[in-house]
Formats: sequence, C-alpha cells, structure tokens
Amino acid sequence: MLARERIAAMVEEGDGRFRVDRAVYLEPELFEAELSVFYEGGWVFLAHESQIRTAGDYFATRMGRQPVFLVRKKDGSIAGYLNACAHRGATLVPYEQGRASVFRCRFHGWVYNHDGRCMVIKNEETGAYPGDDCKERFALTPVARVESYRGFIFGSLAADVPPLEDWLAGTTTWIDLIVDQSPQGLEVVRGASTYSVHGNWKLQAENGVDGYHVSTVHRVFASTIAAREARTRVEGLRETEAGRMIGNVASGCYDFGNGHLGIWAQRTKPQAHPLWRQKERLEREFPPERVEWMLNRGRNLYLFPNVFLMDNPSSQIRTLHPVSPDICEVTVRCIAPVGEAADARAARLRKFEDFYLTTGMATSDDLAALEATHAGGFARAARWNEFARGMRDIRRGAQDTDGAGTGLVPQSMTANWDHEALYHGFYRFWKQRLVESAAS
Amino acid sequence: MTGISRPQVEDLLYREAAFLDEKKWREWLALYTEDAVLWMPAWASESETTADPELELNLLYLRGRSSLEDRVFRIESGESFASVPMARTAHVVGNVVLGAVDGVGAELSARASWIVHSYGLHGSLTRGGSYEYLLRSEHGTLKIARKKIVMIDDRLVGPVDIFHV
Repeated sequence: MLARERIAAMVEEGDGRFRVDRAVYLEPELFEAELSVFYEGGWVFLAHESQIRTAGDYFATRMGRQPVFLVRKKDGSIAGYLNACAHRGATLVPYEQGRASVFRCRFHGWVYNHDGRCMVIKNEETGAYPGDDCKERFALTPVARVESYRGFIFGSLAADVPPLEDWLAGTTTWIDLIVDQSPQGLEVVRGASTYSVHGNWKLQAENGVDGYHVSTVHRVFASTIAAREARTRVEGLRETEAGRMIGNVASGCYDFGNGHLGIWAQRTKPQAHPLWRQKERLEREFPPERVEWMLNRGRNLYLFPNVFLMDNPSSQIRTLHPVSPDICEVTVRCIAPVGEAADARAARLRKFEDFYLTTGMATSDDLAALEATHAGGFARAARWNEFARGMRDIRRGAQDTDGAGTGLVPQSMTANWDHEALYHGFYRFWKQRLVESAAS
Repeated sequence: MTGISRPQVEDLLYREAAFLDEKKWREWLALYTEDAVLWMPAWASESETTADPELELNLLYLRGRSSLEDRVFRIESGESFASVPMARTAHVVGNVVLGAVDGVGAELSARASWIVHSYGLHGSLTRGGSYEYLLRSEHGTLKIARKKIVMIDDRLVGPVDIFHV
C-alpha cells in the first residue's frame, strides 16, 4: 500500500491551480488500492434489469478482480453472488448471460439454488465429512449489497456503504431524464461490444465527460457527416446532430459529488434525435424545464467508478473493467425506451454505430487520444496534468440556474463544457477515499 | 453455374483484399454497387452474433456505397486520431465456396474465410472470421452488392476500421 502522504501529494490544489500527478495513471500499487477501495469496497454498476428479466436469468460480470453473477429469483427479486463454487472455487456459470433453475458446478457437481444455498454435495453420504448437515456450511457468498435505481442494478462487496440513492446523490435527476423517456422504462438492445484500451481506467472516466476535446478530436466526425449530408440529403431521424462539435452551443459541466460527473450540450438538431417522436407526450407529462433537458440537451453522465449513462447522439451504457494500471476493458451497450417505434429504434442504433464503437467514427478517435495520453504519461520528467480551465467560473450548489426544473442541486458546475473544473470533484473524492483507507 | 465463373469470383475477392492492404480507396469503392451493403454484426452471446441489422446492434452497417465513402473521407482527411499513423495490414482470403446463382445468371452468393494480420501502434494483431458475399454482374463487371463480415474476435484492441477486416 502506498503511503498516505504519497497519495495526498498526487493531487495538488491552491494558488489558482489544480493539478494531478501523472503517476496516478501508472503506479501498480495505487491501482491495487483503487480496486480494493472503489471497485471491491463500494458501489459499482452491475447490469440493467432488462438483462435478467425472467426467473432464473443470470448475468455474470466482475467487481474489480472478483467474478460475480446476478440472478433473478422466482419472487422477482435480484440476488448477487461471487461466481465461485463454495467448495473449491471454480466459476459456476459458463456464459455471460443465461437461464438456470439451479447452479451446478461443472467441477465436482455441487448444486446451489437461487438463494445461494447448497442443495447437493455429490456423494455426500460417502464423503466421510466430520459433523452433520455439511450442506449448511457451504453456501455461495452473496454480494453484500445489491440495489436498483429505476432499473440500473448496483452492488457492493462491502456491506458498510450508504443506501444506493444517497450514493448516487444528485445524479438521480439525470438518470430520471433517461428513464422517463418511456412509461415502460428502458431495455438493453441485443448485441454488445467490448474493447481493451491501453490506458488507465481514470482516463476513460475523464474522456467520457471531456467536452473540451470534442471540437478537435471529433471535428473530423462533423466534417464527415457534413460531407454525407451534402451528398445524400437525408432528413429527420436520419440526420446527424453534429452542431455541438463545431459550433458554440449552450453547455455545462457538473460535479455531482461522490466522484460523479456530467456534461451537457444543446442539440442543434433535436428533430434528428429518436426521442423527438415523443415530444407531444413528454410535453403533456412533464414540466417544460424537464422536457427541455430530455429533448434538447445531450448528456453524458459518469457514475463513479465504473459506468457512463450517455444520452447524446444515441443512448449508451458504458461499463469499465480495469485490468491493470495500463489496461481497461470497456463494454458498450445500447439502451433504449421500451416500446420505441421501429424507425426511431433503427435511427438510435445507426447513430450509435456511427459514433460510439471502436469500429465507429468517433469512439475510435477518442480511444486513440486516450491511449496517447496514457503513453505521454510516461514522460515523468514532467510531472503534472493541469485542470485549471473553468476555475474562475465555478458556481456552487444552488447558484446553478441551468439545472432548475430537474430538481438538481449540484456540488458545483461551470456553464461551459469546454471547462475542466468538474474533474476537481472526481480527484478530490478519489484522494479523500484513498487517503482514508491508507490511514486505517 | 451460368454467367459467373469461379475465377471471376476469386479475382474479385482477392483484388478487394489487395486494394485494402494497399489503401487504394477509389479502386476499392469501385468494386461495390451503388446500393451495396457492408454489414458486420456485433456479438450477442458467446456463440451468436446479432441477426437483425435494422433493430439490433452492429459493428458496421453501411448502407449504400456512399456510406463506404464516409469511411474513406475520414481516413483520407488526415484528421482522424485513430488513423494517423495508419496500421499496415495483410489480408488473406481463402476457402472460397460458391453458392447458388440466381435464375438469370446475374447474382451469385459466395462465402470465404479471412485472416487479417496488422501492425501498428498496438503491435502485431491477428483477427479473423468469415465473409458472406452477394455478387452482382453489372454491365459485364462483377461487383459486390452485399458483404457480411463476421469477426470472431471481441475484446478488441485498437481501432477496427474497414481495412482491418
């Protein structure tokens, strides 16, 4: 474990500056501490409820280094267990997603039910076990806390964490802006993509709420789309929102507290967004300020430490799985309103494919920039990354007027997504938690 | 089999591979019909890709040659972070199996296996999979009307553009 003083010195603020030591992306010992404290010791996002809809449906994932799976029980509730047989530890479920009435270990044939209780020990009667009732002694280890917020399932391997909604803090207002897009809620669309990024997981966290890079890295996306639309004259849902990449649009950055961050920018072509079809219904059901946020403002929401919920050109769940200081696996899924019209759903998917994937025309460039940042981080003769942009414009809590109508009172915000002051919230929280755990 | 011969098919598939490796984008585009579709589904599970390109997620779903031109525009712009510097690639296309010819001898399906070895910022990488083609004879020239690419790899390292597969 790194010394408390060493971690504390990695984030330096005061005298009009906020800077972060590039060592935060590179140090193996720091990475181990991050996994223990954040990924294995606090709330992390696990899955969306639509991925385990029916009794017996399971979904396997990881919390930090630890394999886990979720199962939908017969009473409709959701349980989470370490994905390891209580006997000798073989992983229990063979697929990432499936359906099972019981979980049977393929190594020695032990069987567990959805409550994690051991039902069968193969050849128990000839096992010469000391004592009676040895099945009672072997149960799957539950994920200490599993809770959902409006369909998004989170878990914590540590029991001693605040209730999920307290942890999510003001971000629930932004989650609501996505979930309320359909009275029937959201669903994950079939198909996913995973990529292995040569860059620290915190660079993923930074990049997904970095408005400042958009007008450089994605200028080529905007010019590609401009060339396409000049050539093919598409209209409506088939148009692509690219104004935010090159133009000066209203925008902002949020520090929600607990390390959660968000950025938004005004859509210049809201009629190209699949939700435009729902305009009249939204206007009937929600106050104008909320409709404005849902229809006209693209949003990227980062929930510390491992997930983005994006509602920008398309809608995405982006989950981070740190593998080493240098590698982060990222899985992206399209999430969409249940009951969406086929042409709106198709438009949502085509925008996703254009922009978001490593086979797409924007995320691939994001990843290249991110990997270049990681590679440049090895230039240790220069120590600091600087996060001063926006510092003179920081507004605290209720000084934010943009969020009015959503019920949001942020930790702080600045009214321009080109700003970088939101990262102060991330790195203050990061430092505070790591320093606390280093002390204990 | 009337109208379209195996050597014609193989010649088309191998020329496409060479144009991509040599980054001859105009020549590559000219191999496709105006209404061509280039489709690479995403994986939906360990054994199944997505099957409905309209309503499920794809890695690539380019409809019309103009969508292929979008990709070329971006590569040639020199402004795509992921494409500067550009990876070197070597396509190997084989195991070509011809399918049925339509009634008038103008369209033919074909299947092939592919391996693409590439070298770039991420070092040497090898990916592979299958191609399913619908080929169409247009004014005596055989062109690609539809190409489905299955890439068996997931947990992708580095960008995967049209010339990596």
